[in-house]
Amino acid sequence: MTSLNGTSATPTPATNPSQLLPLELVDKCIGSRIHIVMKNDKEIVGTLLGFDDFVNMVLEDVTEFEITPEGRRITKLDQILLNGNNITMLIPGGEGPEV
Amino acid sequence: MAQDRNKDGEKKKKESIFDLSKYIDKQIRVKFQGGREASGVLKGFDPLLNLVLDSTIEYLRDPDDQFKLTEDTRQLGLVVCRGTSVVLICPQDGMEAIPNPFIQQQDG
Repeated sequence: MTSLNGTSATPTPATNPSQLLPLELVDKCIGSRIHIVMKNDKEIVGTLLGFDDFVNMVLEDVTEFEITPEGRRITKLDQILLNGNNITMLIPGGEGPEV
Repeated sequence: MAQDRNKDGEKKKKESIFDLSKYIDKQIRVKFQGGREASGVLKGFDPLLNLVLDSTIEYLRDPDDQFKLTEDTRQLGLVVCRGTSVVLICPQDGMEAIPNPFIQQQDG
C-alpha cells in the first residue's frame, strides 16, 4: 500500500490519498461564489476571499437569506467576517435558495 | 497536560475511533446539530469529521413541527459538511422509518 508523504507534521490515520479533503475543496473555491448554510435557518451567499483553521470565512458581495419567513434579507457589500461556529454546510458555486 | 503524553513523553497520536474510508463512494445519511439532515455520496473526509458529499440532498423539516421530516427535499450538489456540526453518520440504507412503537395498539 502506498503511503502519503512522510513529512507531515501531524500524523493522521490512514486516509486514502486519492480522496478529496474537505478543506482542500473549500480552498479551491477561493475567489468564486460560495453558499454557506448555517445551523439555523440562515444562509449566506458570497464570494469567498479566505478562511482559517476554524473555517471562519471572509466573504464579499454578500447576500443573507432567512429561510423560514420566506424572504431574502440584507444585501451587504464590502467584506464580512463570518463566524465559523454556526456553519453547517458549504456549497461551492452555489447561488443560494430559490426565492 | 500530563495525560496528553504517553509514558515515553511523546505526544498522543490523534486517532479516529471509526474509519470512514469504508463509506467512500457510498451513499450516507448525515444529521446535524440544529436538526438538518442530508444525504449524499461520501467523497472525502478528514480526522475532524469534515465531509465532502456529492449529489447531496437536504431533507427539509416541517415548518410547523420542527421534529417531523417532510417529503420535501432540495438538491445541493457537491457540498462540504462541517465536522463541528455533524452528530450522526450512517449508511443510507441502514435506516428506515417505522410506525411509532410507543403508541398503544388497539385490538381488532
